[in-house]
Amino acid sequence: MTQAGEGVRAAFGPRPGERLKAALQTRSALASVIALFFVLLIAAGLVQDASAGRILSLFVWGVMLGGVIGLGGIGLTLVYGVLKFPNFSHGALATLGAYIAFSTVAYLPKSEPIGPFSFGWELVAGLVIAMPLVGLVAIGVDRVMYRRLRVQRSSLVLFAMASLAMAFFLRSVIYLIWGSDFRFYYQGRANPALDLPLGLRVQADQIFILLLAVVLVTLVYLLLEKTKMGKAMRATANNPELAQVRGINTEKVIAYTWMLSGALAAAGGVMYGLASQLRPEMGFWLLLPMFAAVIMGSIGNPRGALAGAVIIGVAQQVSSAAISPAYGPGVAFVLLVLTLLIRPQGLFGERS
Amino acid sequence: MPLLKVEKVTCGYGDMQVLTDVSIEVKRGEVVSIIGPNGAGKSTVMKAVFGLLHPWSGRIEFDGVDISRHEPYQIVETGMCYVPQVANVFTELTVDENLDMGAFVRSDDQVGDRKQQIFDLFPRLYERRRQKAGKMSGGERQMVAMGSALMLDPKLILLDEPSAGLAPKMVDHIFERIVHVNRSFNIAVMMVEQNAKQSLQMAHRGYVMASGENRVEGTGTELLNDPDVARLYLGG
Amino acid sequence: MDAATLSKGIFIAVPLTLLGLKLIPLKAALRLPAAIAAGVVLGIAIVAAMPSGGMSYLVSFTTMASIYAILALGLNTQWGFNGHLNFGIAGFFAIGAFTTALFTTAEPTGVMANYTKQAFGLEAPFLVGVLAGGVVSGIIAFLIAIPVLRLRMDFLAISTIGIAEIIRLIFQNERWLANGPQPLRGIPRPLDCLVQDQGCAPGWLAWLFGPLEARDYTFIYVVIVTLALALIYVALETALRSPWGRTLRAVRDEEASAAMNGKNLTSLRIQSFVVGSVVMGLGGALYAHYTVTIDYSHFKPLFSTFIIWVMLMLGGSGNNKGAMLGAFIIWGVWSGTAFLTGLLEPTLAAIHPSLPDRSSYLRWMLVAILLAGIVLFRPQGLVPEDKVVSRFLGKIANPRRKQHSQV
Repeated sequence: MTQAGEGVRAAFGPRPGERLKAALQTRSALASVIALFFVLLIAAGLVQDASAGRILSLFVWGVMLGGVIGLGGIGLTLVYGVLKFPNFSHGALATLGAYIAFSTVAYLPKSEPIGPFSFGWELVAGLVIAMPLVGLVAIGVDRVMYRRLRVQRSSLVLFAMASLAMAFFLRSVIYLIWGSDFRFYYQGRANPALDLPLGLRVQADQIFILLLAVVLVTLVYLLLEKTKMGKAMRATANNPELAQVRGINTEKVIAYTWMLSGALAAAGGVMYGLASQLRPEMGFWLLLPMFAAVIMGSIGNPRGALAGAVIIGVAQQVSSAAISPAYGPGVAFVLLVLTLLIRPQGLFGERS
Repeated sequence: MPLLKVEKVTCGYGDMQVLTDVSIEVKRGEVVSIIGPNGAGKSTVMKAVFGLLHPWSGRIEFDGVDISRHEPYQIVETGMCYVPQVANVFTELTVDENLDMGAFVRSDDQVGDRKQQIFDLFPRLYERRRQKAGKMSGGERQMVAMGSALMLDPKLILLDEPSAGLAPKMVDHIFERIVHVNRSFNIAVMMVEQNAKQSLQMAHRGYVMASGENRVEGTGTELLNDPDVARLYLGG
Repeated sequence: MDAATLSKGIFIAVPLTLLGLKLIPLKAALRLPAAIAAGVVLGIAIVAAMPSGGMSYLVSFTTMASIYAILALGLNTQWGFNGHLNFGIAGFFAIGAFTTALFTTAEPTGVMANYTKQAFGLEAPFLVGVLAGGVVSGIIAFLIAIPVLRLRMDFLAISTIGIAEIIRLIFQNERWLANGPQPLRGIPRPLDCLVQDQGCAPGWLAWLFGPLEARDYTFIYVVIVTLALALIYVALETALRSPWGRTLRAVRDEEASAAMNGKNLTSLRIQSFVVGSVVMGLGGALYAHYTVTIDYSHFKPLFSTFIIWVMLMLGGSGNNKGAMLGAFIIWGVWSGTAFLTGLLEPTLAAIHPSLPDRSSYLRWMLVAILLAGIVLFRPQGLVPEDKVVSRFLGKIANPRRKQHSQV
């Protein structure tokens, strides 16, 4: 926009077309379009003879899937915010976490399932081992690749390209170590759904996944709002040059960001593996929903990523009442494109 | 011994040389103002001192330590802080959090008292401490920026055009606060200013820069009364 | 020298001649005869010297590498010349392949209709199918471009990954469209009849086609593919040296000032994206006629997006020669490492019994490391961009171009 244009606008106020455009780009416009999308999805489901109870169950499963996407999405959005590039290898980190937990479960003696869940303590141990380990892998990748690119002040494109290379590198490592077959944490163990009021059918594992997501997100929130390192992360994401000027060791902040991002991705991967099965491409399938959640929730905003993830998760599940569940990523993609068209800064971003 | 000693520093961006043999000194408790036309390299001097650029040749000494090769986060620990001209607050953080980030290298138990002092200095910040810095006016942002820098309890504060883009009344207020900070906390100030007259009036000493070199130096009054300086840089 | 050697040698002479036209440093008038002569001599010499197994390997290698070179040229039009970060090449590749398959096959009837379902089958000629592949790919690219191309570069990358995934999901799940998860078979091979026993070759060319057997069809296809590659290359070079091409590069490097000069940026960006996608669609179509059978799994990100990026980055973005060179080198690395993992098999088996089965993933890893190395150490690629202003002005010496620092 030229300066002359600015001047004209200051003198005469916005032209009607621009006012309309501005109105279409508001948060409420985006929220209403998303709401309309949901109404259409549900209507399509009802037309296809899905019962209200089934749609309600799908809603609850969607919230659970949102938890999985959200765990990955929070890490993705932190890295996107602090380092300013889309990390295409984030899905591979999630997959790695799932497989590390798988090996832990395979190695440890099997204990009895905990309460109503399908898994025993060894899966919890797997989760606890996988999270920091994947965090360390993420830091290692940063040391080898991204830090050199930072030193060279490379363009965003080279960062994106490097992360694509790392995605395929990590996936090839996973293939080499674990092979390409389907895996289950517990082969052949029953995982019956609980019958809840209102005709809801939900597995205990799904409730666990959701609770874990809530707990981890709360911890991340406390970390970011209350601790010095958390504030430093937000500060670095907001203004990296000023963070340096204030004496924040940004390399240290970046290392913490990768640790957090990798650990959360691992948790997301373990949970995704628990909800379905383990495959080397599982992280790649999560990548599109995660990016959709991150952009919808505004880049760099962890709470936004979680909110976006729940919206995407529910949309994916509810859509399966109307169309083939295989098109879940397609639903995430439609929501992504709607967001980019209406308000690229997302639901929670400020006007730029 | 001067607090800050910039000795024949040559540096620039990439392979573009900006500064040639610049030498500047700041004594303890002194206010030093650097003036000069646009593109004279004033802000570049600041960046070189603060480790955002590393000198190609020459030497920068702070409090008896050679800091030519230090990174900004190391320089902050030695007790120097820097207020950039633009983008000098964390817009997404609250005022309170901005101040916390100013004291990032200090241990937490020192922060509370210090923050109280800053709120005494800028009462407006106390009223708005829970507000995001991005939602504040230009003058208020300048207060947040200076306040965060002072959180460090520095020996020297570098100010890059503190009056840029502010309303005249706010300019007076900010300059008055700078003098106050200098006198009551005994903090040395090195500042770059477009507003040459006003900044020389409050400065103990001043430097005039042009084309990446320092041309004239003297006390604030000397420079104000120097006919050449007046004609060339003070607008008659 | 037997008849088969002569005949195969003449086919091999075509790609060699094309290469010679590019490489022989003679005046234009002398270059063509020189290239033909050198091509024929070299072609016959190679066929005579190589064992026939090695020869057919070399021919299929050249065919695949040329198809990848076409895809890399398409990507170069988008990324190298206009800065579109398209991470969804696989989508346009797949559209080209499936379109020509539907255009050129016959709709199954009778018992076959139970096994193969497809939206339509036109039995159109090869050229019509290939062109349709390009056109449909271009139309889809145009529809996608309108919402997506105004976006920031990182958003474009994310969106194009999504587009490729969805295109693949559609071909995987919609049985009615192109047989869904089942492969679509019987895509006709152009000029196949020339090598059949009751061939359609005219009598006066019997000396050329007579000695070829049905399994020697690849010798014909390599000629078709390399000619297509040469045509696309010449067309793109001409376009890129025209004012249109210069403007594209101006838009890439200095978006703001190109806009100041009154260029319609959005329209230009869409044009280059569509042209690149048309080229990718053509590549996909040529691929389909080569493999004869296709299904969705051919269009996964590794083989149809990632490896093409590695090719272009290695060769040098912004340079069509580099794009083609990169395609041949990377395909060579990929094919060559198959032998390497074969050699490593005893070692791998010693480490863990299941490793030899997974040795192909070592090659993945190698390609990934290669891209990482290019990004870190030579982002401008092997052949950096020529600063060609116009075909009338020759090259400007400007070795220190900043690598896309503006984008």
